[in-house]
Amino acid sequence: MSTFVQVMLDGLLAGMLYALVAAGLSLIWGVMDVINFAHGEFLMVAMYLSYWIGFLAHVDPLFSWIASGVFVFILGALTYRFLVSRCIGKAAMAPLLATFGLSMFLKNLCLNRFSPNFRILQSTLLEGKKILLGDIVIGLPQLVTGLFSVLLLFALYFLMKKTRLGWAIQATAMDREAAELMGINTDRIYLLVFGLGGACVGIAGGLLTSYLAVHPEVGSLFGLIAFLIVALGGFGSIPGALAAAVIIGLVEALAGFYIAPVFKYVAVFAIYLAVIMVRPKGLFGW
Amino acid sequence: MKKRKFESKDYIWGSLVCLLALLPMVPGLIGNTFRAHVLILVLLYASMAQSWNIVSGYAGQVSFGHSVFFGIGAYGAGMAVVTYGLTPWPGVLAGALLAALTSILISYPCFKLKGHYFAIATFAIVEIFNRLFMVWDWVGGALGLDYPILPDGWKNFVWSETKVGFYYGALALFILIFGVVRWIETHRLGYYLRAVRGGQETAESLGVNSSAVKLSAMAFSAFLAALCGGFFVQYNYRVDPPMVMSLDMSMKFVLITILGGVGSFWGPLLGAAILIPLQEYSRAYLTSLGSGVDLIIFGIIIMLMMIRQPKGIMGILQDLGVKTGGRKPEGEEN
Amino acid sequence: MAAVETAAEVINNKHPELDVPLAKKEGILNGMKVQLVVADTQGKPDVAKSEAERLVNQEGVYAIIGSYNSSASKPASAVTERAKKLFMCGCSSSAALTERDFKYFFRLAPTDKTESKEFVEYIEWLNKNQKAGIKTIGLIYENTEFGKHAADEGKAAAKAAGFEVVADVAFNPGATNLNSEVQTLKAKNPDAVFGACLGGDYTLWVRTMKQMNWLPKVALNYCTGYQDPKIAQQLGSDGNFFMGGTGYSPEIGAKYMKKVAAVEKIYSQKVGVPFDSDSIQEAVALFILAQAIEKAGTLDVEKVAQVLRTTTFDSPLSLGGKVAFGPGGQNMKATSIITQLHDGKYMPVYPKGYAEIKATVPMTPWDKR
Repeated sequence: MSTFVQVMLDGLLAGMLYALVAAGLSLIWGVMDVINFAHGEFLMVAMYLSYWIGFLAHVDPLFSWIASGVFVFILGALTYRFLVSRCIGKAAMAPLLATFGLSMFLKNLCLNRFSPNFRILQSTLLEGKKILLGDIVIGLPQLVTGLFSVLLLFALYFLMKKTRLGWAIQATAMDREAAELMGINTDRIYLLVFGLGGACVGIAGGLLTSYLAVHPEVGSLFGLIAFLIVALGGFGSIPGALAAAVIIGLVEALAGFYIAPVFKYVAVFAIYLAVIMVRPKGLFGW
Repeated sequence: MKKRKFESKDYIWGSLVCLLALLPMVPGLIGNTFRAHVLILVLLYASMAQSWNIVSGYAGQVSFGHSVFFGIGAYGAGMAVVTYGLTPWPGVLAGALLAALTSILISYPCFKLKGHYFAIATFAIVEIFNRLFMVWDWVGGALGLDYPILPDGWKNFVWSETKVGFYYGALALFILIFGVVRWIETHRLGYYLRAVRGGQETAESLGVNSSAVKLSAMAFSAFLAALCGGFFVQYNYRVDPPMVMSLDMSMKFVLITILGGVGSFWGPLLGAAILIPLQEYSRAYLTSLGSGVDLIIFGIIIMLMMIRQPKGIMGILQDLGVKTGGRKPEGEEN
Repeated sequence: MAAVETAAEVINNKHPELDVPLAKKEGILNGMKVQLVVADTQGKPDVAKSEAERLVNQEGVYAIIGSYNSSASKPASAVTERAKKLFMCGCSSSAALTERDFKYFFRLAPTDKTESKEFVEYIEWLNKNQKAGIKTIGLIYENTEFGKHAADEGKAAAKAAGFEVVADVAFNPGATNLNSEVQTLKAKNPDAVFGACLGGDYTLWVRTMKQMNWLPKVALNYCTGYQDPKIAQQLGSDGNFFMGGTGYSPEIGAKYMKKVAAVEKIYSQKVGVPFDSDSIQEAVALFILAQAIEKAGTLDVEKVAQVLRTTTFDSPLSLGGKVAFGPGGQNMKATSIITQLHDGKYMPVYPKGYAEIKATVPMTPWDKR
């Protein structure tokens, strides 16, 4: 029985981590209908930054996530300004493919400069620590990322629903032209949103360096899962993304233990297809 | 249907084919050279891209799942040769038919998804196939299938002494696929496809069975992509899931077509003719700059193209006023 | 690649201070120098095949040395075999490479098959001499050509020796977490685990086991993250007591392969780290080829291949000091030592001739470290 609880708990925490990674993507998609194909690579870049800060300046990821967040905010804003803004609305999949080009560029740039070798920080504040509740183990890194995830999602939700900026963003998301007529500088909003989306995944990457090794491919699977999550959650829904992330985390853990670990991700992709067939706009999409 | 007139496009096409067919006559040009390898890959990838073009360009569905069909074709050939000790031909045919069938089974439910939901569903499908093939022992699983040393020739479809055989094989594939697309363009199916792409509801109101149309396009596309997969495995003497059934391979289908000009007849060829030599030569000759340089360049080109001219090379040519003879790329249609 | 460059440098120039074959002369066969042409397979079989063809046809190379991934070596060597050129394979570990009846293919490193047999042998020795009480085996491996092959060999060897395989855990490399994998191992609780996890997955595996507070009695690793000194260093004390097959480490070299040190100096000047099991095999590959050419007295491929097949070579950079190829091209003298990590040092524990310490078996549990 305790094994079942452990599996569920692991799945829940993994899901929370995925939610943290996917939050930024969901925001960007919900506001500008753009899927940032380079999302996984943003995560990778954030991890590299946090690693180098940790390795060279001995600052723990528990603090360097701030730097990662800021760095990827800037990266996201630049991506919008120089890439996405110039192809949005021009052709069906232009922003998707443009960000794919970006992902290829970032991944191979890091490969070229940092080599494919895996790097992990030797001792971080969070790594290896755990909380024991009887037989159940809760890893501290996972718990902390889970907490960050919840806080961040709440913050985003609060931002969107209760602040003027959030209303402006929502207005832009619903009808760009109307928002422009209302005097909202939608281009600035888009820039901000892309940056914010980047910051979210930057924070995730910064924290991940506590216990995960960084290498040029580290973002791939996280990125793919993030795409699944936002589509599963539904267009424009941040609570949807959270729900989807938790579902995916649980499916991964349950399939991994009760079927076989090698089918973990098959189950995840299959669940996406199963749900999307029944609800073609995701769980809560509009 | 009145007899169709031959447009200038057809004359250009005819001349190109004749030129390509005669190329091996030039001494030393083909042989066993790297040049030949690049030419073969250009023809192959152009064919692959053109097969994808049927669905995306002409029917308007951007699918990232084509490597599944490519892979089924590859495994068809591979299984025939390695597991059953036959020649690859029956395997490729079986693989292509299976791919067409699979495409219909997968696409039917997927077509009700829109936009990004559809695209992400196609990612999911590729990943599922990839991972399942990795654990499926009958097809070789993660170990893949390695070809034994076989005598050269058309029967086994392998050559080691010279590349001329592979070259003509690729050329035949190229002529076939481009020919099919030209046929579709000028016959009923093509008109239906364009109608559906222009607006599904409108087309249906005019009596077009959009489901049937899209599914036929998909089946054709999958069949042809599978044939390309068969060629690929023969050329490389080996198949395993990451080589053929991966998102990377799917992206190649997508990128070459889009960069060339999706929805246009020449787009896939132009895309392949520019990107493949770039990829091959930069990988072979820029190793001093470290790994991944060819892909860095690729990434930059994609970004630039999407910013400047999302309609691809065809779009650039049009802007320059070059008469491209025939259909304009997607987005500027009737 | 730097390893091969090192070997080339030694061969091409006069290095009287080095006590390895061909060092004292300049070049081979009356002063012919070795020239290297480099190609990158990117770890992909189709790229490997076309690069091999380019090297053979375009660049006109005499022979090919490489590569790391078995899945890339397979089509590349198919190309050279068809072209009747020599392929010297340093460290691809798939046994299938030398089971193909090729005439021009030669591989230096031990295979996953021989590694598996050695692991099983060692466990039997442990049971006899250290009362280890190991009855059940589990495997954890990345689901790739490398991992699956190693696992298949491991299972076969274990079953042949009468052990029960209770856990067979394949995982997707680059996974976001290894929770289910370790959970499964913990639930099945095998006494010994054979591991085939590269790089980042290796560290994630070790740390996840720490988090779930589980360890087998013995953990033996194929050519993986275990053998990477950087990773061992990054893991710190968490990496202790894991074991694996090692073809070379500076500690082993210092004791049993004394002639390596001077050559290694040239190598570390290029890359800043000492040799490891894989890179040293690449250097050996070139040395042996050169020695064979020298002995054959000609560049004629058939004669050199004949020499390769029938001679026992002196190889100070190889563990055991000798290289001799059997049918199919496998180096029959390839061995590896089983080592156990203690604070970043690979301490040999088996076979007896090399063992320096008694292995810590069972592995010290996490809470007692």
